[in-house]
Amino acid sequence: MASTLTYQAIRKTFAGQAAIELFDLAMEPGELVSLLGPSGCGKTTALRVAAGFEQPDSGAILVDGRNVVGTPPHRRNMGMVFQSYSLFPNLDVSANVAFGLRVRRVSKADQQRRVGEALERVHLSHLANRYPHQLSGGQQQRVALARALVFEPAVLLLDEPLSALDAKVRVNLREEIRRLQLQLGMTTLFVTHDQEEALSISDRMGVMSNGRLEQLGTPREVYAAPATAFVARFVGRINELPAEVTADGITVAGVRIGVAAPNGAAVGSAVTVMSRPEDVRVHRPGAGTNGAALAGTVVSEHFAGATSLLRVRLDLLDVLVDAQRVQQTETSEPGHDAGDRVEVVLSPAKVLVVD
Amino acid sequence: MTAEAIEPEAVVAPEPRPAGKLAGTVLSWVFVLAVMTYFLFPLLAMARFAFQRVPTVLLGWSTLGDKWTLDSLTRAFDDPQFGEALWLSIRLALGAMILTLALMVPTAMWVHLRIPKARGLVETLTVVPYVVPPIALVVGVIGAYRDTAPWFFTSRYSLIPFYTVLAMPFTYRAIDAGLRAIDLRTLVDASRSCGAGWFTTTFRVLVPNLRVSLLTSAFLTATVVLGEFTMAALLGRTTLQTFTQQFTQREPQGAFALGLLTLVVTTGLLALVTFLTRKRGAAAIPAVV
Repeated sequence: MASTLTYQAIRKTFAGQAAIELFDLAMEPGELVSLLGPSGCGKTTALRVAAGFEQPDSGAILVDGRNVVGTPPHRRNMGMVFQSYSLFPNLDVSANVAFGLRVRRVSKADQQRRVGEALERVHLSHLANRYPHQLSGGQQQRVALARALVFEPAVLLLDEPLSALDAKVRVNLREEIRRLQLQLGMTTLFVTHDQEEALSISDRMGVMSNGRLEQLGTPREVYAAPATAFVARFVGRINELPAEVTADGITVAGVRIGVAAPNGAAVGSAVTVMSRPEDVRVHRPGAGTNGAALAGTVVSEHFAGATSLLRVRLDLLDVLVDAQRVQQTETSEPGHDAGDRVEVVLSPAKVLVVD
Repeated sequence: MTAEAIEPEAVVAPEPRPAGKLAGTVLSWVFVLAVMTYFLFPLLAMARFAFQRVPTVLLGWSTLGDKWTLDSLTRAFDDPQFGEALWLSIRLALGAMILTLALMVPTAMWVHLRIPKARGLVETLTVVPYVVPPIALVVGVIGAYRDTAPWFFTSRYSLIPFYTVLAMPFTYRAIDAGLRAIDLRTLVDASRSCGAGWFTTTFRVLVPNLRVSLLTSAFLTATVVLGEFTMAALLGRTTLQTFTQQFTQREPQGAFALGLLTLVVTTGLLALVTFLTRKRGAAAIPAVV
């Protein structure tokens, strides 16, 4: 049965500097939550506090409602996979996986059976007698995953387990992690600085900055409706345009873009309009934009397979705007060349306005 | 998903050695031979004095092969005090090895895990025995503890703490090097997250992976103990070295033979350490846990 993991107002400082501040998070049983953020934002500290490797200054960590602050790491029953390869070099693969069962004094026969099953799950049964130095990085991390899962922990903690791997192995292994997590229904906290990882495998993701959780939501929510400018900038690519609050709404370079002013914003105050490249449409001049368009010139078009990224310099702002367009089909508009005159239209419903 | 294959390492043909490199190699060998000669000649002289039954005034090139014998060593072995002195030295060496490991391993681990910034300071502290002469150490300790703990100085094992301190510059470094070679924090965290307490983590994870450095540390302690004279003499203990010194008065040849034997044994221990550390390292040595 999967467990819940709850952070309640956790605060942790190092030498007077707050690593995490008033950190709250409630994970449902069987849920995979990613903590995403830049280096030094406190995501690993949050994970280490849950594991028991760091003691919080204040707050509570609840596992199935029981506060585990003060419980030593080896009594928390949490499996963990680390960023660096953490297999015990003196033990072969099967002994590494059996380690957690051995210390729990599981019978030999049971150990053998469960180690076999765990290795089967990560497709490494054939390497059971190898030593860690005889394995590739991806294989080592899969053994580490099997070792963390074999004793059926209450919670699985993953501390950037993919960051030391090359791109192809990383994608394979993250799918593997998600498959196993769903199969076992394991409550999992996954720390990463790679937004693609967080977006692709999480039930929910939390974006952290300066020790605080800026936003917690499903990957779609976080991407489509970022709660703060930091989240908007950190997750995905986004355009930022200087704008002004007017009585009629927001204007960019004097052009009304069909977006209402945020509550409490004073007329005449400067704001920033943010919009994802895929929410920006680019037309040839006079293609029915109802006057809400910003004129500009195509600077370049970067081909990226199924899509391409069009870079446009706006006439009135001297700002570059990125627009993503699906690759040309028989019915779509023809592509653009550098130097083409175009009009840029933002999608009002998907624009984020920040101070 | 299939397992990733380990890429075989490419075989690279050795490049021809340039003339400059060859000259460097030759020079290196000349230097090594010069150093060996510098050390070996006195040892050869020592060996001839100890093991040739030829009057000293006649020891020259012409008598190099004459009358070699182990009589002097046999006489030393036959001395009733020899066995006792050797056995005491062995016990002191074992005691110092155990005390060294018991103190240094947790200390070095603690420094690495909890106060890594203090590593430099601790390293500096461990070299203090280099700068404090053994005589000052013994006299200082005697002065400080004579009245409060007289039992300490009457025990034949009172030399063990002194030897542990004396060997510290070598032993701490050996253990420290071992800890630097492994990802200590991750291994400890991994073990703890699997449910192991400190005892299990230390003895099932760390010690097997530090085996080479622990052996090095132990052997270095043994070599220090087997070669130490000043402290044993000051505390009036008959160890191998003090026995040798006393034996010199009666049997100079036997004393030299013993000195040479001690040198061979300690050199053998160091060679063993070198051999062990030249293996692929602790990480590659499988262990039954």
